[in-house]
Amino acid sequence: MNKNIHSIEVNIVTVRDGEEKVVTYTYNKREEKEKPMALDVLMQAQSSVIPDLAFRFGCRARNCGVCTIDINDRPRVACRARVKNGDKLSAIATLPVLSDLVVRRDGIARQMRGLKTSAQGNDLNVEAPEVYHDLTACIECYACLDKCPMHSRNFEDKLPGEVKDSLPNASEGYIHGNPFSLLKLERLRNDPLTSEQGKNIAIKKAIDLGLDACLDCPGCKCGVGIDLKNKVIKPLLEAAKNNL
Amino acid sequence: MSIEIKWVSYDVVVVGSGGAGAQAASAASEQGARVLLVSKDPLGASDTKISEGLATVRESGSDDDIEEVLSENVKLAGGDLPIKKLTDTFSKYSKEAYDKYRENGLRPSINKAKNRPQSLPLAMGGHNRNRSVGHENHGVAFGHANWDAIIKEKNIDYLEDAWFLDLVVDKSSEDSKSIIVGGLVYDASKGVILAIKTPSVIIAAGGLSTLFFPKTDTMRGNTGDSYAVALRAGADLVDMEQLQFLPFCLASPPSYEGLLAGEPSTASYLGVLRDKNGKIILNGVHLRTRAACSEAIMRAVEDGRGSPNGGAFLDMTANKELPKSGPYFMKYLQDSLPTAYINARQALGKEAAKVETAWEVRPGAHYMMGGIRVNDEGQSVGGEHEGSVKYGITGLYAAGQAMGGLFGANRLGSTSLTELAVFGNRSGIAAAKHALNNKFKVSQVIFDKYINEYSKLFGQKGTISSNSLRELLQKESWKNIGPVRTAEGIEKMEILIKDIKSKLTNISIPNYFLWNQSFLDYVELKNMLFSAQLIGLAAKERNGSIGGHVRLDAKNISIFSKPYSTVVNKNNNSYLVKKLNRTRTPLKNLIYYKILEKKRLFEARILSVLPRSMKDKKLEKKYKDIMSANGKAPEIMPGGTDGAIGETTSP
Ligand SMILES: Cc1cc2nc3c(=O)[nH]c(=O)nc-3n(C[C@H](O)[C@H](O)[C@H](O)COP(=O)(O)OP(=O)(O)OC[C@H]3O[C@@H](n4cnc5c(N)ncnc54)[C@H](O)[C@@H]3O)c2cc1C
Ligand code: SF4
Ligand code: SF4
Ligand code: FES
Repeated sequence: MNKNIHSIEVNIVTVRDGEEKVVTYTYNKREEKEKPMALDVLMQAQSSVIPDLAFRFGCRARNCGVCTIDINDRPRVACRARVKNGDKLSAIATLPVLSDLVVRRDGIARQMRGLKTSAQGNDLNVEAPEVYHDLTACIECYACLDKCPMHSRNFEDKLPGEVKDSLPNASEGYIHGNPFSLLKLERLRNDPLTSEQGKNIAIKKAIDLGLDACLDCPGCKCGVGIDLKNKVIKPLLEAAKNNL
Repeated sequence: MSIEIKWVSYDVVVVGSGGAGAQAASAASEQGARVLLVSKDPLGASDTKISEGLATVRESGSDDDIEEVLSENVKLAGGDLPIKKLTDTFSKYSKEAYDKYRENGLRPSINKAKNRPQSLPLAMGGHNRNRSVGHENHGVAFGHANWDAIIKEKNIDYLEDAWFLDLVVDKSSEDSKSIIVGGLVYDASKGVILAIKTPSVIIAAGGLSTLFFPKTDTMRGNTGDSYAVALRAGADLVDMEQLQFLPFCLASPPSYEGLLAGEPSTASYLGVLRDKNGKIILNGVHLRTRAACSEAIMRAVEDGRGSPNGGAFLDMTANKELPKSGPYFMKYLQDSLPTAYINARQALGKEAAKVETAWEVRPGAHYMMGGIRVNDEGQSVGGEHEGSVKYGITGLYAAGQAMGGLFGANRLGSTSLTELAVFGNRSGIAAAKHALNNKFKVSQVIFDKYINEYSKLFGQKGTISSNSLRELLQKESWKNIGPVRTAEGIEKMEILIKDIKSKLTNISIPNYFLWNQSFLDYVELKNMLFSAQLIGLAAKERNGSIGGHVRLDAKNISIFSKPYSTVVNKNNNSYLVKKLNRTRTPLKNLIYYKILEKKRLFEARILSVLPRSMKDKKLEKKYKDIMSANGKAPEIMPGGTDGAIGETTSP
């Protein structure tokens, strides 16, 4: 175990061309009391011993939602998650890995393609309810995919890493849903400009994505603190109750 | 084994999924064009998504906010460099363009009495009317609207994790005109190169602030791809020396480096800048321009008197110490720029948050005003004056931060998000029309040289990594073409760029195709090099200070002098740089502005020499005046001119 107060040892799981390797990286603190974020560690590793380390980041301020990784197998937004000695950093386990800490995110958004329900009214000057804004706070970090049984259905109820040879085609959009997609649908339903027909399309889509999985699920958790259980899942289940 | 090449064809290709890209794709598809949008970041992840979410909507605050008023406001703020046709267009379409976001789910508060979006209560960011509309969830709300715009249309194909590499240009026509025939894209998530045949490409790939990383508050992806791609295709780029730097960004800890901590005006009445020895290097900070603040900080750094992390100390403690006005100051500091205050509190700790200690700050790159030279439809232009499509590149369009000519030497706060929609839309429509009227057959032969250039990079043997060169480039760019510049530094930069370019062939890139990070780093490094070169060439031509940066070895350019823009262009391997004269705003407006500025500085001087108790009382009254009825200070905009009062250029 690393005893040096000026450094932190972190295990970074790299994946190149399909091959997994654990690299123990020693992060040099820039000041004694520094408590680095996971992203700091990745950046320093990249600028020193692993120059071609692959990871996503954008804003460094928990706004863009692209830097999510697993820290000790739990999803965290890397730019605002502190690490300590011995932590393991790896790609989020809920999506297929492309390289190192980069996963393919494409299959999620794409399942919503062509869903035309918004702005069917023509007076734009209407106020949206508070819950609409609550849901708009979603930064699309995909932390909520963790332990979602509906999303696991895409991978034979397992993790993508466990079904490597039979991964669904992300380019067509995953068939089964996830908390993020349900949030998008519930957001549409709360948009004052969505027509009744649009709302029905949204509910039907939620059912198609596998809303039944939510019936006996303890519920999902959002990476930035949106109350998914009460603001997304419950109202959707309520609206769909006769069709599940 | 070499990388697979996949051939596809589209009517319109859009590069980028920020506000400009999303709006362009959606407008082009509404015209009936078959659209492909490519984004190197996940769909919608962009500067647009991380912005403060303030948008200019003409007439949202007052009925007298007519087109001419807004147009002149933008033009003057830009030091008369902006092209009037562009500021007119921006002004004219700002309302309906903003509504495009609303059609995709952006929901502002509504002013029920007037049946229109509710503007913030004050004229902000140097605006001469209140016309800035704020949104819950800031830029994230725009992120959703853009995402929805792209996703909901079945006839917009899109790819994320897809890097647009280069435009494919046909130069063989009889009148030697350059014509877009396609583009090359590396689809990292599938490990293929797409060879796309298309007559229209819209560049909406954002800015270049990553050239100065980590001294920036923008997205990592801002590696200047917009400008580099256009330059290599032979397009004109305008005002490329005009970068907006914010003087007070965080210098540490690493995770917060570059993020915004404050603006000159949040330093309030008694804020000063100090060097590492505690000596005051700039007083009256709240009345200074951003450039003046940056200059003071960077001069101290050059003299070896900088703070530990290469900045200076923003000391606001004198505001806080006064018994009566102190509490008001704290409220003002927290309310007026909330995100900046939160950044500072998290990064610098409790004492700093209570303003018991000074804050270590340093300038950071925020926005590129210059860009691809276009007309009011976002179409590439060349030649003299405002430019003509005759001398531009046929089929090339630009919108958003990628385009230049609209904001000149300084951009008013909240205008960017609106501009994305105005020019995103207009370029989308124009590009679609061009494509639908120009169905031509393209020979694959023209693509060969491009495909060869990029596919042979996989497996390139070498001994260095792109990232080490990138870090060197970023460090030197900051020193030489950043907020303070000298002719000598600019020349040093030219040599460095040449040197790094010569090393590109020695960068090692392994031979696998799925998300090859080394390949991506190489491509972005190359684009940053071209961007640095553009800034350097334009900065050399601009031998004086105007806008957001300072020339230490040359005089300030007065607003009364004849305004001009710079244009850079690349033809084969030689660069052409020229000046273009612009029209000046009527003299009487300029004089009026100068008088106002003098008056403010005079008042500030009087205040600073008053005895302590009188000062306290006077300040208490001042705070009470600026805080509205509910006791809240008005929010100001990062980058806006009320953030730096000395830059208010609107009479
Ligand atoms: C912190 C912050 C706050 C701001 N606040 C405001 C505000 O309140 N109001 C305002 O008006 N402006 C604000 N701005 C400025 C404004 O956000 C940006 O100028 C604007 O969003 C730029 O939009 P864009 O569409 O041109 O580019 P971006 O939104 O940056 O989008 C660029 C897109 O291009 C993609 N891309 C880049 N290169 C390539 C490539 N080679 N291939 C494929 N895709 C590529 C990226 O992935 C991204 O999707 C702010 C900026 C910042 C950083
Ligand atoms: S719902 Fe929460 S966890 Fe899920 S993507 Fe959105 S912000 Fe992330
Ligand atoms: S409640 Fe539904 S969406 Fe949430 S984790 Fe469970 S199955 Fe997934
Ligand atoms: S880098 Fe944007 S959320 Fe972490």
